[in-house]
Amino acid sequence: MEKGGLELEITELRLGLPGTEKMMKKRGFTEMIMTSSGSNSNQCESGVVSSGCDVEKANESPVAKSQVVGWPPVCSYRRKNSCKEVSTTRVGLGYVKVSMDGVPYLRKMDLGSSQGYDDLAFALDKLFGFHGIGVALKDGDNCEYVTIYEDKDGDWMLAGDVPWGMFIESCKRLRIMKRSDAAGFGLQPRGVDE
Amino acid sequence: MNYFPDEVIEHIFDFIASHKDRNSISLVSKSWHKIERCSRKRVFIGNCYAINPERLIERFPSLRSLTLKGKPHFADFNLVPHEWGGFVHPWIVALAKARVGLEELRLKRMVVSDESLELLSRSFASFKSLVLVSCEGFTTDGLASVAANCRHLCELDLQENEIEDHRGQWLNCFPESSTALTSLNFSCLKGETNLAALERLVARSPNLESLKVNRAVPLDALTRLLSCAPQLVDLGVGSYENEPDQESFVKLMDAIKKCTSLRSLSGFSEVAPLCLTAFYPICQNLTSLNLSYAAEIQGNHLIRFIQFCKRLQRLWILDSIGDKGLEVVASTCKELQELRVFPSDLHDEEDNDTAVTEIGLVAISAGCPKLHSILYFCKQMTNAALITVAKNCPNFIRFRLCILEPNKPDHTTSQSLDEGFGAIVQACKGLRRLSVSGLLTDKVFLYIGMYAEQLEMLSIAFAGDTDKGMLYVLNGCKKMRKLEIRDSPFGNAALLADVDKYRTMRSLWMSSCEVTLGGCKRLARNAPWLNVEIINENENNDLMMERNEEDEREKVDRLYLYRTVVGARKDAPPCVTIL
Repeated sequence: MEKGGLELEITELRLGLPGTEKMMKKRGFTEMIMTSSGSNSNQCESGVVSSGCDVEKANESPVAKSQVVGWPPVCSYRRKNSCKEVSTTRVGLGYVKVSMDGVPYLRKMDLGSSQGYDDLAFALDKLFGFHGIGVALKDGDNCEYVTIYEDKDGDWMLAGDVPWGMFIESCKRLRIMKRSDAAGFGLQPRGVDE
Repeated sequence: MNYFPDEVIEHIFDFIASHKDRNSISLVSKSWHKIERCSRKRVFIGNCYAINPERLIERFPSLRSLTLKGKPHFADFNLVPHEWGGFVHPWIVALAKARVGLEELRLKRMVVSDESLELLSRSFASFKSLVLVSCEGFTTDGLASVAANCRHLCELDLQENEIEDHRGQWLNCFPESSTALTSLNFSCLKGETNLAALERLVARSPNLESLKVNRAVPLDALTRLLSCAPQLVDLGVGSYENEPDQESFVKLMDAIKKCTSLRSLSGFSEVAPLCLTAFYPICQNLTSLNLSYAAEIQGNHLIRFIQFCKRLQRLWILDSIGDKGLEVVASTCKELQELRVFPSDLHDEEDNDTAVTEIGLVAISAGCPKLHSILYFCKQMTNAALITVAKNCPNFIRFRLCILEPNKPDHTTSQSLDEGFGAIVQACKGLRRLSVSGLLTDKVFLYIGMYAEQLEMLSIAFAGDTDKGMLYVLNGCKKMRKLEIRDSPFGNAALLADVDKYRTMRSLWMSSCEVTLGGCKRLARNAPWLNVEIINENENNDLMMERNEEDEREKVDRLYLYRTVVGARKDAPPCVTIL
């Protein structure tokens, strides 16, 4: 990008590898995250001076970008209200979303904190303040509600059929559905993946 | 012109609405200054600490509408402590005391208390419009006072505020006689909503044009609301729903079909994709669509919807739409003026194949000739793409590019992105706002200083090499008003080179840069008309002042300076030192 007659030699662009002089001058992102745990400015200075070795450290143990305060620049309201922020969608770990027909809210619960189906039943009852759910899990046919879950493959299955360990590993989300609606829902028949 | 009576001049001034123009008029002569100030109804104050309410009231006795902004922009990203300031209460107290006939109050990034809202609601009999953006400090109790006491309330617009929800009955507090509502937005409220009260309120508000509800309004309630407000122009939906049953879905779609005036759609947080399809009947009328909170709706559903939205002028979307989705936007939305693409994955935990790249940006620039504003979060960029974008879209007013990984170079050449951004500023002669990212040296700032003649706001992060970078900008951009810099190696030399430059600017923010306490002190000494604030959450006031000369070399964590005619503010918290 040259304007006719204008000498643009003001900065020397050096495209060297990390650890060259250029990296020393600039307070790069990698230095910043290595020193971001304290916000003491003395730490920052040492970070600049030994940037070479810090960069190497960074390459060894990649640090998540989200550890930098305020980066990426998405406003805090948006961060708090974007679904992915609210719950992890990783299968088998952490929170899953639980919905119940007739309730306009989603709840989240930590499957890992339950020891088995009985525990889960109890937890679900507590979550929605409704005593029928637990019964559904234990004694399926007599209850107004059924508890179903979406598995890794996107199929909806009746909760309670597979061993607990297998269940928590494949359950992506839970839904408490009215038995009357369940008939036409397209639930996978029992024992399909055994 | 001076031979006309004042009333005639005043009448002529009535046609001049823009703040900039009115400010210019007031500088022409003493008599124009007086006529202008006595007739001025709307005042915009970009920094609430630049002036105080008493002086405002003294100058503009006919004030009807006031806009105030408080915290600096980087407060949005948690870089400013909660207790920093920006309190609206003293303003309301002063306006009430002076019996100003206030009708409209718009606040951004300010601290608002229930007490303030209560006082507001009781002090201004003609109060019509309250707009709060990114504010905090109040609860639904404060909203209840506004609802109950502001008899002529037309507009209550709450955007992205942190509101403590006491699950009270604030909607019930609108008296039965309240029928003047034109705009109601409570989408940011987290608690339950009294649906019956809401429906009654909407039913008795025939002039309601804009309605944005919160998450607690389920689909069947939405259907009922739309049925009694088919005149709506702007709708915010926000309700969890599994795939709705056939009957509810049909009812919803029927209600939507009747909303032939609907032009703007938003919300959709935690909403199943099927709910979006209920809006097919009116999507070709839409000029504004905000699906940036709809993380549940996958790219293919978004694309299927957008391909019918041929009249779209404004689109806010998540990057889950992907480059392919943006290509569809480019071929469909020929009227597009503003595009914002937000990141859907903030933790980089998932392998994000569908995030957008330079391909999407180039497609949009090629397909949408009217595009003038863009905010684009992406995972990679190239100089070639930016150069193409600049060629395709010389009309950009706002260009904000955020490459998610800081310091990332052009991914095809490994070079810095200086040339790409240089092309943007050279081609876009009307550019007023710019955010840069990626690997950048001092050169990009040379280009900005040379070409960005209309630039008013510049955001810099993890960029530049030396003080020269910042100096190019300060020396070159004559219209600069707001400069915000983080994590860049600019220091005292740049900060102090031209102190008078800050007279022409609203504010400067520098965090995690190279400026030192000594440099800031020197600046404060040479510029008494500036408030030079040092924000340091780890220390308090006293320690700061007792420091000896050695510590003058200590780097300043966060610096915020702004011009002011009323000196140091008295409400600063301990973590803020005003030099």
